[in-house]
Amino acid sequence: MFDALKKLRYGARVFLSRKGGEPEVIDVGGRSVSILSGGEGPPFVYLHSTLGESMRWLPFHAAWSKHFTVYAPLHPGFGQSGGFDEISNIEDMAFHYVELFDALGLGEVILGGVSLGGWIAAEFAVRWPERVKKLWLSGTPGLWVEEQPLPDLFRDMANIPRLRALLFHDPDGYMAKMVLGDHPDEERRVAGYQAMTVLARLVWERPYDPKLARRLHRIQCPTLLLWGGNDRLVPPAYGEAYRQHLPQSEMKIIPNCGHLAMFEKEAEFVEAVTAFCQ
Amino acid sequence: MRYYFFHLMSWPYLPAHFADDYDSAWVWLPNSLYDPIKGHDLYQNYLDTLAYADELGFDGICVNEHHQNAYGLMPSPNLMAAALTQRTRRCQIAVIGNALPLYNPPLRVAEEFAMLDVLSGGRLVAGMVIGGGPEYFSYQVNPTYARERFREALDLIVKAWTTPGPFLWNSKHYFFRYVNPWPRPIQQPHPPIWIPGAGSLETVEFVAGRRYAYMGIPYFHIDIFRRMFGLFREACEKAGYKADPGQMGWGIPIYVAETDRQAREEFEPHLWYFIRNLLKNISLAPPGYTSAKSALAILRNRGQFLADQKDWDAIEKGVFAIVGSPETVRQKLDHYRKELGVGVVLTGCQTGTLPHELARKSMAMLAKEVLPHVR
Repeated sequence: MFDALKKLRYGARVFLSRKGGEPEVIDVGGRSVSILSGGEGPPFVYLHSTLGESMRWLPFHAAWSKHFTVYAPLHPGFGQSGGFDEISNIEDMAFHYVELFDALGLGEVILGGVSLGGWIAAEFAVRWPERVKKLWLSGTPGLWVEEQPLPDLFRDMANIPRLRALLFHDPDGYMAKMVLGDHPDEERRVAGYQAMTVLARLVWERPYDPKLARRLHRIQCPTLLLWGGNDRLVPPAYGEAYRQHLPQSEMKIIPNCGHLAMFEKEAEFVEAVTAFCQ
Repeated sequence: MRYYFFHLMSWPYLPAHFADDYDSAWVWLPNSLYDPIKGHDLYQNYLDTLAYADELGFDGICVNEHHQNAYGLMPSPNLMAAALTQRTRRCQIAVIGNALPLYNPPLRVAEEFAMLDVLSGGRLVAGMVIGGGPEYFSYQVNPTYARERFREALDLIVKAWTTPGPFLWNSKHYFFRYVNPWPRPIQQPHPPIWIPGAGSLETVEFVAGRRYAYMGIPYFHIDIFRRMFGLFREACEKAGYKADPGQMGWGIPIYVAETDRQAREEFEPHLWYFIRNLLKNISLAPPGYTSAKSALAILRNRGQFLADQKDWDAIEKGVFAIVGSPETVRQKLDHYRKELGVGVVLTGCQTGTLPHELARKSMAMLAKEVLPHVR
């Protein structure tokens, strides 16, 4: 019952924050890109995880939009964003974003993302460091830590309880059950399958970029590594690995939090990112 | 009407409580459960069974490819086919098939199939498959390119057999400066090409368009086969020709014994071993392996797959297997092959634990007392 109320409350917050996040579909070199944007201030680009959470303007987007002009595009292959045929590896994603930023007229941006989004941000930053004013990464793969191999997300993709246990510190909490419901409708299933298809394209053969570690030194801007202390999908050891290659970075752990900090510990997550980026 | 005997070469020695203790007979099933000494006898016995099918007058025998599993112990069906070229004289040897995206370079398939065709004196049926979902986990091959790679590799192989080499090949996934396989196949222009499928419209239309043969893989409700062959005939018409029955194959396990009751008693426990253990997790589906639309259709068809059946009544009603006396099997087989309009039946009875002698008895009764009446 209590959980049901919490869900309603979150729904109300999504409803109240919806304005400002007007969806737009723009053309980038013949590819359509679906993008939400809102707010005022320095440009701030949020790159979403495989959940595709930027399909809707959510409370965490809205919170940032009080300080920044927030851009939340959907990656190729997600929602209305096309161009997936041209994506065969993570570098293609980085090139997609430099073209998007050119199309939007964005020179230098604050850039960050969660999980897959963070990885794309890091790959962007090693190629175009001059275009990233500040960088933040959360629950971000891309490197490989021999002692803690990443678990196989694909093995569990049809098993919702196992998936929740992998992604949330508290798999029984209302947020875990709202984000990964027990009985997704067909539309959600198709979206989920498409999202996992994009991820599979990028990580199936090798779930990291063997060249990333030796390129990270090119990133000189301030960098925040923000990790859920109980992230079981991309454990904090991966944040540590990034830190070793980014001496200027700071690492911050959110306690009692799994892989998806923007849902499981929204307040701490938003606060940490905002404080760092301001 | 042609009849082929297929063999999966399943592993019969899974522990008694396997279904409760393990979540999969595929990919991560611990290979400590495999015993190579028992495996030796098993391979001999399974090869004997296939050689016996040749003696009994089956038109062909079939082997296929699976990896890291207890369901089918032929990671390389071409090795088994090679052995069978030396143990059989008359029948066709159908390798159904090689999972093309798993071969890099896919020219290996053009070479090995040509070897088999030459070794067997032109008896090879060249089956080409995309490969099951679990194989993409076992070989870590990107499932999001499965269909593209399959089509490119197939085109490359056919061209390698039909165009004098050397020639240059350039496609999205493959580049070869010198395509020039030695040996070349005996059968001209190339061995018959069979493509197994589970009813996805993409595959049906592709096979019809190329005028290859479509083999409906077994373990589905009869309604699925009705729809599948209906779609195939339509697709052929769209492509401007009438489907030949020889282009359509129906996979159906058949077990024959002296009476209906005896047949069920002898066969049923072994079918359940197969369903409960070996099919466990066979439908593991990596993302991108099919389009989102097809993935949804597969979900909707749940309940029409053998693994979902709970009792014998459901098996009989759905015609997941034909089991009975020679007379019963004759009637059912005749009825359904005519209704489906197929010219090829792929049958088997060895579900893993079925004793060798019973498998041979059923095969002999099928060949002698049933097939002559349903040609």
